[in-house]
Amino acid sequence: VTAPAEVERPDVDEIADVARVWVTIVWNDPINLMSYVALVFQRLFGYSKEKANTLMLQVHHEGRAVVSSGTREQMERDVTRLHAAGLWATLQQD
Amino acid sequence: VAGFRRGRHGTTAKFSADEAAVLRDLFGQLVGMLEESAPRSDLANPDPLAELTGMTDTSSTERSADPVLARLFPDAYNDDPTMSGEFRRYTESDLRAGKLAAANTVLDSLADLTAGGTLHLDAATSDQWLTALNDLRLTLGTRLEVTEDSYDELAADIDAAPDEPSTVALALFVWLGYLQETLVEAVG
Repeated sequence: VTAPAEVERPDVDEIADVARVWVTIVWNDPINLMSYVALVFQRLFGYSKEKANTLMLQVHHEGRAVVSSGTREQMERDVTRLHAAGLWATLQQD
Repeated sequence: VAGFRRGRHGTTAKFSADEAAVLRDLFGQLVGMLEESAPRSDLANPDPLAELTGMTDTSSTERSADPVLARLFPDAYNDDPTMSGEFRRYTESDLRAGKLAAANTVLDSLADLTAGGTLHLDAATSDQWLTALNDLRLTLGTRLEVTEDSYDELAADIDAAPDEPSTVALALFVWLGYLQETLVEAVG
């Protein structure tokens, strides 16, 4: 006979928290060129010209746009690359 | 002013001696500012272990009070100074090194242009120009507190007070924007 090993019960709240998706947000600023911002979206994320332009216009008109989503580590990487390109980006949980 | 064009292996751009001198001066100032913004440990006597682990005790964890540096090195988390500080501690020195490398690449390519002439940039160097031009515009634009209306204001200023230093600086900013626009077009 064997007894089941004691397993620590996982914290349900913690699981829900981990499962929540993180997003990268790009914010509007008056200096970056629209064409440059769209080019950065194409290059960093492999987006089509159309998708990159749509996101750029959303940043321009609405002040911000979600440009990528995934794990927190992935979003930190995206924010790092956006900062290197001179865009104003932050990450947060969706 | 022709700006950048697509070249056989990258891009080309023609600059007069005066234009090249202005660019060297501006990018030189950018390099100086970035170097001065580095915590001491980044430059003098770097601690190899700290470098290896990215854990330098003297690394800044707070966003700069200088609006230009705050713009070039922004917070990664809104409304969470602790997380932003952690993020900054691990990423800021690489971010600074990348910006410095781009600006120094631009200065190198301008070194032979003292009499003016045509630059021939390969694809990688063109990309470094794109990054450095953007950092320079962020720097100048933040200092000048430009808004999306600044382009219209410049036209009025040129008519009213063409020799005012603020008009000259704004005109430089607009010229750099034109250069960047043509470079985006040339590499895109």
